[in-house]
Amino acid sequence: MKLNRTSFALMATLLAGTALPTFANATVTVLGWPGGSEETALRATVETYNKQASDADKVELLFFNREGFYDKLQADMAAGSSAFDLNLVATYSIGRYAPYMEPVDLGADAAKVFGESVLKTMQFDGKQYGVPTDLSLHFMYYRRDLIDALMKDDAAKKTYGEIAQKYLGKPLQPKDPDSWTWDDWAATALYFTKQVNPDSPVRYGTVLQMKNLLFNMMVFQSLPRSYGGDWMDKDGNVTVDSDAYKTCLELYKKLYDAGSSPKDSLSYEYAETNAAFASGQAATALQWNAAAADLTSTEKSPAVAEVTGIVAPPAGPDGRADHIHGLGLGLNKNAKNKEGAVKFLKWLATEDAALLYARSGGSPALSPDVVAKVAKERPDLVKLGEFASKYGYVMTGATSASALPVYELQAKEFIGYWSGQQSLEDALAHTKAGMQDLLKK
Amino acid sequence: MALVTRAEGRMYLTPLVGFLLLFLGFPAIVNLIYSVSTVTFETLRSPVLSGLGNYVAVLNDREFWSSAWFSLRFGLLTASAECLIGLFLAIFLAPLLSKRPVLMAPLMLPLMVAPAMVGLMYRLVLHEFAGPVPYYLFEWFGDSPAFLDINNAFRTLVVVETLQWTPFAFLLFYMAYSAIPLDVREASSLDGASPLEIVRWIDLPLMKPTLVIAFFIRFIDGFRVFDNVYALTGSGAGGSTTSLSIYIYQAFFKEGAIGKAVAASVVLFLASFIVLHGLNRLAGRRKG
Repeated sequence: MKLNRTSFALMATLLAGTALPTFANATVTVLGWPGGSEETALRATVETYNKQASDADKVELLFFNREGFYDKLQADMAAGSSAFDLNLVATYSIGRYAPYMEPVDLGADAAKVFGESVLKTMQFDGKQYGVPTDLSLHFMYYRRDLIDALMKDDAAKKTYGEIAQKYLGKPLQPKDPDSWTWDDWAATALYFTKQVNPDSPVRYGTVLQMKNLLFNMMVFQSLPRSYGGDWMDKDGNVTVDSDAYKTCLELYKKLYDAGSSPKDSLSYEYAETNAAFASGQAATALQWNAAAADLTSTEKSPAVAEVTGIVAPPAGPDGRADHIHGLGLGLNKNAKNKEGAVKFLKWLATEDAALLYARSGGSPALSPDVVAKVAKERPDLVKLGEFASKYGYVMTGATSASALPVYELQAKEFIGYWSGQQSLEDALAHTKAGMQDLLKK
Repeated sequence: MALVTRAEGRMYLTPLVGFLLLFLGFPAIVNLIYSVSTVTFETLRSPVLSGLGNYVAVLNDREFWSSAWFSLRFGLLTASAECLIGLFLAIFLAPLLSKRPVLMAPLMLPLMVAPAMVGLMYRLVLHEFAGPVPYYLFEWFGDSPAFLDINNAFRTLVVVETLQWTPFAFLLFYMAYSAIPLDVREASSLDGASPLEIVRWIDLPLMKPTLVIAFFIRFIDGFRVFDNVYALTGSGAGGSTTSLSIYIYQAFFKEGAIGKAVAASVVLFLASFIVLHGLNRLAGRRKG
């Protein structure tokens, strides 16, 4: 077949169409968090916004891959990209991106919708850099059926006490998970470990996420925090080598060495933890709140959906602590349409928009009055808001430009200790030296 | 008279040289400048020259050396395993494949999968609760090893890489083996050579250039490994599966230590250049 001029023209148009960026009608471009409930909720919310917005203010969404998202975003922003007007920002990366962003004034009503503590997750140097759209924290997931059976069985209680004495040096007794201390959780995890207690109905007592990954450090952090641990004291000295961190690092290692967590835990992150708990072979798991939907879904987790209980992370000597991590949208310094972008951000911070976002599947942390309006459709958001306001915390220095490298450093050093590659003292000394270097920048 | 005059030759070469200068030369020069500068993401366009501090930091960094050792071991082991298995399969399957060439297609399939996908696939395949391998091991033996723990991660990664890339070595060796004239083998057979002697004294010497090339291609690929290791174990517990590529990536993006990352890449470039130049000279001397 010979190609005539028309065919050539068609082919050229097709190639140009694939090679060149799409010409959008919208004048506000938003770079969102791709995949998952965040994307679904943002799409639905933007659809509603575009119906009421003028042509000049209409919003177009842009998504790329989650893998390496923050690294790509950093490279784009450092290069002065104006391909998007609003971009994703997260609590622990605000300091990293703040130089390429502009603060925004969301108005007084924003505090009524989200509450001051949640607005703070999007602040850096006292300035508001974004609208908090989603909040992540951790739940302690546990098997209600196993705990109930344990509480009713005197012989099992005796074994539990013996195991607690042998491994933790304390004569503990089974308790309701909502009143667990970390020691209670550890004793329960050991009791339900086949390697420790051959009569355990499940293979593992818990699932520890120990892949060398910064997000796994976020999951771990609430443990030392509830023992009074922090990254720095009020004078700016790094305090990661505190007794709180030592105790908690040792507890994780004790559980891993005793076989309480799957053997491959050193390669586990979010997905692996979900799979392990959903298999019905683990009694507890400290996991992100986002997993609640899957772990309580009879379709996705038929083995455990009906018997999965959810409580806040256990208590330490300083009470309970839950690591909060917010996602939001903020203004790119090089935005082409700042006026339209700010208009959209202010709308997103209104009660109507926040409720719409929640009903569309997002996970905003809303103030008690506002969340009450969606409590029937989204009961998990009530728990999210409650845990965030009661136990939520951000480590000192954890919104600085070096926060993510600090998590990376801790992941490498702490997991090096858990895997037996270095001593606790070496791990803490390396972490302290590295943090001093990073946080002084 | 020459088919192409010197001036014409230069003219033909100009676009290629221009392309190389633009797309390879420019980044190389920027790399060299960054490697002797203090530079962050905020000062990408205004790096401050600071001497050889980045090189000193890299060469004094125990992780740089442990990642270099990982890459070297990984490259040598995977290249050797792939070439040995590929060679065995090429010779062993040659009679079958000459009659049923269609069998080549399924044997080549692993090459079609992106390495990052292979990493993700094995994360699933080896998962204790979701993967088929641990499932059957538990069914048959009541236990399953931890494929990705500190003791086995390296071995697992070597096996995963070998399984994916052996077909590449096999393809090259099969082609080289098929190209050996049959009459040479027949003649040696008439002279009383056994099949093993034919392989040892006829086939292998004739396939030697292909064997060497395949080994080096696979070694280079194994040495610079990134995707499947990163997807499967990340940099590993305590950095135990950090290859040089992962080291550079982490220094650049995760630590924001751009100067150090670039200095490490320059060191790697120089080391590779010296090795390849040495091999080139060795090959040239043998020819001479």
